[in-house]
Amino acid sequence: MTDAVLTQPRRLGFARRVIDGGGLWPAVPALVYLVLFMVLPIITLLTFGFVTIDRGAITDGGFTLTHIAGVLGDPLVWNLMWRSFWIAVVSTCLTLVLAYPIAYAYGHLKGVWRTLLLVAIISPLLTSALVRTYAWIVILGGRRGLLNQTLLSLGVIDQPLQILNTSTAVVMGMTQIHLPFMILPLLAVLSERDRRFEEASLNLGASQVETFFRVTIPMTMPAIVAGFALVFAVSYTNFIIPQLLGGGNYSTLAVQVYEQTIVVLDWSRGAALATLLLTTCFAFVLAIVSVGGRLTRWSEVRR
Amino acid sequence: MSQLVIENVSKAFGTQQVLRDCGLAVDKGSVVTLLGPSGCGKTTLLRSIAGFLVPDAGRILVNGQDISHLPPNRRDVGYVFQNYALFPHLTIRENIGYGLKIRRKPKALIRGKVEDALGLIALTDFGDRYPKQLSGGQQQRVAIARSLVLEPEVLLLDEPFNALDAQLRLSMQIELRKLIDRVGITSIFVTHDQQEAMTLSDRIAIMRGGRIEQLGTPLEIYDHPQTPFVADFIGRANLIPVAIRSGRTDSPQPIAAAVPDGPGTLVVRPENLTIAEGPGPGWEGSVGFATALGATIEYEIDRGVGEPLRAILPRQPGVAPLTPGSRVTARIRDEAAAILLSGSPRP
Repeated sequence: MTDAVLTQPRRLGFARRVIDGGGLWPAVPALVYLVLFMVLPIITLLTFGFVTIDRGAITDGGFTLTHIAGVLGDPLVWNLMWRSFWIAVVSTCLTLVLAYPIAYAYGHLKGVWRTLLLVAIISPLLTSALVRTYAWIVILGGRRGLLNQTLLSLGVIDQPLQILNTSTAVVMGMTQIHLPFMILPLLAVLSERDRRFEEASLNLGASQVETFFRVTIPMTMPAIVAGFALVFAVSYTNFIIPQLLGGGNYSTLAVQVYEQTIVVLDWSRGAALATLLLTTCFAFVLAIVSVGGRLTRWSEVRR
Repeated sequence: MSQLVIENVSKAFGTQQVLRDCGLAVDKGSVVTLLGPSGCGKTTLLRSIAGFLVPDAGRILVNGQDISHLPPNRRDVGYVFQNYALFPHLTIRENIGYGLKIRRKPKALIRGKVEDALGLIALTDFGDRYPKQLSGGQQQRVAIARSLVLEPEVLLLDEPFNALDAQLRLSMQIELRKLIDRVGITSIFVTHDQQEAMTLSDRIAIMRGGRIEQLGTPLEIYDHPQTPFVADFIGRANLIPVAIRSGRTDSPQPIAAAVPDGPGTLVVRPENLTIAEGPGPGWEGSVGFATALGATIEYEIDRGVGEPLRAILPRQPGVAPLTPGSRVTARIRDEAAAILLSGSPRP
């Protein structure tokens, strides 16, 4: 009721408005940094897809759609995009299923256990993703990998499992490596939540399980959507994990971008592929956010 | 037989004893208020009845059946939270129908009951809105309706008026009492506001330090407080320390005592004091402060020792109030209405 009064716009003079800047001034250093080192390089990269580059220089032809057309007309590219997509979806879903209980448990732990869990969640971020990917090679790799050695010596299996160099290995690695990105947004919301809503649900006759699915999960849906979009984006565009855990003959759209640009040195095709990767990634994230927006419409309403 | 019985319930959080041997019996259809300062254990007792807390000792019975061991979702007890705890992701209709849906009632029956409930709280046009889009008073009605559609045996309400502004409070209190009478549900309120307790309750349980200090109708408690704490908490009272010797108080205006000799407390409501100018038999002092409240005038009388006496006198039109500093003598108007308790005012 008093909100309307408090948020009434103050009338400022022109000079005051410039100085005030709508609160944008503190963001200027970050904006300058992002424009210089992210927006401009991305624009440069994307332009490379629309010109022909030979020996590091743009040839005379100028603007051309041949590279984009070439990429879009290549069935291999569509296959790789499909693979990138389903690997990202499966891995993101697994991440969510694993992350939610951890974030939930965090909200119920106290004192030292809580701190220990937080350390366990964050500590993987202290090592590089590359190192963690190599660790998966040690675990999954060949007959002498940790997993196969253990299972063979326990007599669970007769033949070593062939997990490394398959999509399974890529999904496993991605899920573990991206887990913190899912846990952290969930953790913030789940540990701060008001338990009275769950008590109200119990009081109205719902069991703990019903309460979890009908109250806890829907109420944390905004965080679920945020985590899902974030992890999907990093999974869809990751090229190190598929390259190392998928093996030499394995590729995804992101791996293709890397190979065309760094190995084949066809910058134009690499840039055209990157354009495709970025636009499809944006489209998928937008789709996730709009579906999520429907699920969380209640959080937007105002009186 | 009482519908809700609380037997010797105790509860400690760590080393802190929050409830000590609380006992209470509530008749069907009556309204009891747990009243006390914050930290007295009233909310803990309410949460124990709902099953959100498990008491360390004692039993809670509904219709003669022990429910102490049941989880909250198996108790037939409604609970209205201080902030109402309406599910933000569900519409008003879905909120009210939540419990029925959980019980897997037929859709048509749910729809009918929800519409009836919306009509009962006069919010039929708001059914498809989300809780955030309603005012505090409307949310409170929804929270009550959400519990009532399940027809619980007992309705528990934790400071339901706290989130409302003062103007709305009194009218909502009267509305709620009417609603409860119409439905005929046994209700327990928790509050720290004595006016609210007086308005709503058939009986008030005054709680202090985890114990129920006195239980009675609002007027019983007002007229016959059993301890200085209760006297001070319900209504306003002058607590005058006195000594009792051979059946009389040693005060300037001696009062016959039915309590044993020793230290005592004379409880005098402000409206039971009368004031005369100049010295005389009674408590002498000077006017410290005078507040004209329209129909009445409230005086603060400094006696030089102890707390000032408060007196509320009817105002006579055309007669100016006594000015601060005037010497006056205060006397008890009706000795029969003065209450004498054994023990000092603030033990």
